[in-house]
Amino acid sequence: MFDRDIWQEIYHSISNNKLRTFLTGFSVGWGIFILVLLLASVKGMQNGFTLQFSDDATNSIFVRTGTTSLAYGGFEAGRRIQMTNDDIEYIKRSFPKDVEYISPRVYQNTSARYKSETGSYNIQAVYPDHQAIEKTIVNKGRFINTNDLLNASKVAVIGRKVEEDLFKNEDAIGKFVEFNGLPFRVIGVFTDDGDDNAERNIYAPTSTYQKMYGQTNHIDQIALTYNPNYDLTEALAFSDRLENVFRRRFKIAPQDQAGIRIFNYAEVFEDISNFTGGLDIAVIIVGLLILLSGIVGIGNIMVFIIKERTKEIGVRKALGAEPWSIIKLVLFESVFITALSGFIGLGIATGLLAIVGPSIKTSAFANPSVSMSIVVTATIILIVAGVLAGLIPAMKAARVKPIVALSDK
Amino acid sequence: MIQIKDLHKSYKMGKNSLHVLKGINFNVEEGELVAIMGSSGSGKSTLLNILGMLDSSDSGEYILDNVPIKDLNETKAARYRNKFLGFVFQSFNLINYKSAAENVALPLYYQKVPRKERQEKALKYLEQVGLKEWAGHLPSELSGGQKQRVAIARALAAEPKVLLADEPTGALDSKTSYEVMDLIQKINDAGNTILIVTHEPDIADMCKRIVHLKDGVIIEDKKIEQVRAEQYV
Repeated sequence: MFDRDIWQEIYHSISNNKLRTFLTGFSVGWGIFILVLLLASVKGMQNGFTLQFSDDATNSIFVRTGTTSLAYGGFEAGRRIQMTNDDIEYIKRSFPKDVEYISPRVYQNTSARYKSETGSYNIQAVYPDHQAIEKTIVNKGRFINTNDLLNASKVAVIGRKVEEDLFKNEDAIGKFVEFNGLPFRVIGVFTDDGDDNAERNIYAPTSTYQKMYGQTNHIDQIALTYNPNYDLTEALAFSDRLENVFRRRFKIAPQDQAGIRIFNYAEVFEDISNFTGGLDIAVIIVGLLILLSGIVGIGNIMVFIIKERTKEIGVRKALGAEPWSIIKLVLFESVFITALSGFIGLGIATGLLAIVGPSIKTSAFANPSVSMSIVVTATIILIVAGVLAGLIPAMKAARVKPIVALSDK
Repeated sequence: MIQIKDLHKSYKMGKNSLHVLKGINFNVEEGELVAIMGSSGSGKSTLLNILGMLDSSDSGEYILDNVPIKDLNETKAARYRNKFLGFVFQSFNLINYKSAAENVALPLYYQKVPRKERQEKALKYLEQVGLKEWAGHLPSELSGGQKQRVAIARALAAEPKVLLADEPTGALDSKTSYEVMDLIQKINDAGNTILIVTHEPDIADMCKRIVHLKDGVIIEDKKIEQVRAEQYV
């Protein structure tokens, strides 16, 4: 099939028409170049979104309770649902395989004082696991540990902004700060990539706050992360199971949205991936349309080449060339030009992305790149395109009547 | 070798139909050298095209080497042409980007002869037409007579049953024409059957038989005393 003669024919045809071949090849190369860049841009957007959310663990779920809006299970509407430490244990027991980290959140507003500096901040009373859930980066000291929790120690991990506001140029670690008049020892300072507001938070052990305020075991929210190996469907299935269990536990009507809310990051990601998936399709359509103009160009050139070579085709037929061998000749040439110029476009685009891509990192756009599957798909598209471009001219060539082609008159 | 019976052919020209061949009957034996003569419009080229399977007849019988030639599709016609026939054209019709040897090897390529054997055979036939040392040259580097000799070598390379030549000397001066005819006579001497379409009487006289066409019928078919071209070379 690919003997030397075919290559020789292609070589002669191309070298006799260098400019024409270049111009047509260029349109296909350009089409592929744009297609790849567009797809890479979508990938870049996807990366940008992921980056935005990767501050928090992307496999996190938050459980909040409220006041029921529907009567259910013998209870009237308007019942307040209160979660307790027992619910944490209950989740741990019920979903040992699903839960990775789990922590309650108790919210408290506090006015903090150190020497003459004061400020108003949010305190979240949490478990040690919370560091992993929020991906809190402690850059001085340490986070709350199990001992703090067991002893209900009056310790606090403060945000970088809090340290800046209260301690000015002093090192906060080991110092005592007053929260609503009670002294807490600062054991750590954390930063947050996400935003500055997060750095105005203060973390303390849950037990400490539960003891200080009325010996309760009440909690406001449960934050947890699930098995990181879960894919989107498994993640959504897990939060559904969790929700069902909680609705039964607290006797909340299945359709009651006010009684309990379970927020799963996976849902956001599902939306985003739906969006970028749609964008992908739009981009592929646009790219293919651009490519189409290149294909038409090559088809056009091939028709022209055949017109020019009508006589030669006639001679070949008189000498015994079967129609298929003529079709083969035209198709191979077309596929060769298309594939070669397409690969050049592909090479330049992927090269450009490899060089420039990693250095691009803005809030909504990061590291545009192409995957192997795009490259493989593009290659297949190119070959198919070459065949399509050559098909009509090839049929035309095969229909050349030797008698007409050879008439000298 | 060739048997033709009551061959008819007409061309549609808009509403009118032009009856070009009006019942041709003739036979050619193996080893004959036949000149088909006639003025333009006599149907001689049409006859040659039908003989060459480049065109089909409307009715009549055509038997070539005991094979009835009818209802050919493109592929089959191509195979028969390749197997049975060698063509020589007025304007040589060499492929201009292929060397003399590659041109000669082309019919062998379509016979799927291996590359090496093709090259050997091409050189053998170029030698037979006296152009072995021109094997690597492109047609543009050859003179008219040389081109026609390459074309003859190409027609011979496939070892056809019949050689069909359409005005083989039409584009050549008389000296070169005689050289080409000398070559054709020698090929005929070796036993090859050759049909030549020509309108030049001196070329026709160098054949062994002249068939005269006029208005689509054979008006004369006679065997003649061959004039050897050698004496003019």
